[in-house]
Amino acid sequence: MKIQRMSQVAALALVGSLSLAACGSDSNSTSDSSSGSASGSSSASGSESAAGGGEDCGKVAIKAEGSSAQKNAIEEAISSYGDKCADAQVDYNPTGSGAGIKQFIAGQVDFAGSDSALKTEPKDGKIEADEAKKFCGSEAWNIPMVTGPIAIAYNVKGVDKLVLTPEVAAKIFKGQITKWNDPAIAKINSGATLPASDIKVFFRSDESGTTENFTNYLNKAASAVWTDEKSKSWKGKGEGKEKSAGVAEATKSTDGGITYVELSYAKDNGLAMAQIDNGGGAVELTSESVGKAVAGAKQTGEGNNLALKLDYTTKEAGTYPILLVTYEIVCSKGKDAEKQAAIKAFLKHFASDDVQKGLEEIGYAPLPDEVKTKVNTAIDAIS
Amino acid sequence: MSTLDTAGGASAATTRSEYASGDLGGKSAGREIKNQIARIVVWGCFLIACVPLVWILGSALVKGGHMLLSPDWWSHSQAGITARRVGGGAVHAIQGSLIQALVTALISVPIGVMTAVYLVEYGRGKLARAVSFMVDILTGVPSIVAALFVYAVWVTTFGFQRVAFAVCLALMLLMVPTIVRSTEEMLKLVPNELREASYALGVPKWKTIFKIVLPTAFSGIVTGILLGLARVMGETAPLLILGPYTKNIATNLFSGNMATLPTMIDRDRTEALQPAIDRVWGAALTLILIILILNLLGRLVAHFSKVRN
Repeated sequence: MKIQRMSQVAALALVGSLSLAACGSDSNSTSDSSSGSASGSSSASGSESAAGGGEDCGKVAIKAEGSSAQKNAIEEAISSYGDKCADAQVDYNPTGSGAGIKQFIAGQVDFAGSDSALKTEPKDGKIEADEAKKFCGSEAWNIPMVTGPIAIAYNVKGVDKLVLTPEVAAKIFKGQITKWNDPAIAKINSGATLPASDIKVFFRSDESGTTENFTNYLNKAASAVWTDEKSKSWKGKGEGKEKSAGVAEATKSTDGGITYVELSYAKDNGLAMAQIDNGGGAVELTSESVGKAVAGAKQTGEGNNLALKLDYTTKEAGTYPILLVTYEIVCSKGKDAEKQAAIKAFLKHFASDDVQKGLEEIGYAPLPDEVKTKVNTAIDAIS
Repeated sequence: MSTLDTAGGASAATTRSEYASGDLGGKSAGREIKNQIARIVVWGCFLIACVPLVWILGSALVKGGHMLLSPDWWSHSQAGITARRVGGGAVHAIQGSLIQALVTALISVPIGVMTAVYLVEYGRGKLARAVSFMVDILTGVPSIVAALFVYAVWVTTFGFQRVAFAVCLALMLLMVPTIVRSTEEMLKLVPNELREASYALGVPKWKTIFKIVLPTAFSGIVTGILLGLARVMGETAPLLILGPYTKNIATNLFSGNMATLPTMIDRDRTEALQPAIDRVWGAALTLILIILILNLLGRLVAHFSKVRN
């Protein structure tokens, strides 16, 4: 009968899909060497304790959601965590900081990643920090984990060192300064031979957190010139290019080009990066100068709640001011002890020297030591 | 398919008219011009309709084809693979998509088929009209609305986690009406003489339906189910809202995240790094292939077994 033939086909399909399922493997740790340049760090740190596990590893799967700015960093950390603890599983969905906090408060995820700390002032009649507290049954902590510096990258023949003040940078990106040998640039770059060529500004044509942070900096540090509030879409002048890769590529191939881009892209494309002079002398973008900005940030939370307030207008010498800090938001005391232990184990791994150092290769800056000590104290206090 | 048929029909019509004109000798220049214009328009429309199809298939093949050739693609998950690392596979997403489609089908098929049986065999009066009307409305519900409805019930009201089963519930809302409609059409095609012959032999109504009506329309019903399944597998909104992505293989419908092909595409779609871009195209091509196979299967079943008269 026809039905029998149908059920045979159905059975075949079922067996097929089941066998596909049976063959599937989560183990990718051995096949990671093929990408060359940037993959080294994770596998190296993983192999030392590959057989280990034990109390450093979580026993239950944890779910997290939030900021896309820390996506690459946390993926790297998850990857090396997976090498260390074969059974531990961490899922991170980069849906954006706002979504992450909402899902955390709603109890849908175990911790949230966010570019800004939980707000303590009311917004729409609700205070994020209080809402989170209500869900946790204890205080929710903001733990800074990743810092992402933004470089002002440029391509001008014969100019290896370029210093910009916030005002001049804002004017360039606003289109008020159009020539490289403009007196305003020449004044702060005495000794450099600036060509008379046009400045070609490239900006991100897609909505981007980088744009948001960069415009936030311009707005705070050069409020007289850059009057627009921070926004994900570009309000300045120039030519739009898709994604970080696009602006970096365009700057690289255009003499006289300038753009703002994450550190990793500037490095990968071999672009020169401008030094920033906020008033305390020109500062190069290095992990130290970025770390100094993080270390110099004011802690607005109490105790182990490490919410930081970055000072974009800092005049402290040797501090690079254009960066963002992203947090992991966790319950200080959770209802599920096993889950809290798993979160603790993962964050401990994330904050470890190996992982933080590896982040440097992919364009983040490691946490400075003072902050790292505080972060570790906070993680230890999670229960 | 239908575009193809139209174009084929049109060209056949043209050859016939040319043939006829040759026989009768001479035809007005006006009609000749109109004929040419019509031919160009029809062919033009056909080609325009083909452009996006060929374009999508072509670019997915060119950009993602090489991913599917690697055996890892079909045997490994993305666990531990970051956007800048080459390697890993899509087995977690393929499996997740298949599991969710299967569970959705297991729930929707009995409901859908039974509803159709009721509408065709039993339904008279107000209730039947109400059911029919509701099915019509459900057919028109956008997937995002179904997803948000399930979110409101499952997460907001009951306070459950976002899990694969919630996705299945939302997909079910989309699949049931399509199954009801297609099954209804198939059951209506079953000749009444068959039912009457069965009754004449003293077979009760329920037995007639199960032994005579449903088997007769079986292939048509299967086709409808397969097409409904293909539609549901390509659905994205419920997955984005109710099914967070994971890079690990997951089989638990009621706890934890489960990956699917659409969420795998969504995950890396904004990424600028080449390995991630390759994976996005690979996943897109895999999804297209799976849906294509389901569609072809549906048509094959329909082709080889028509409702017997």
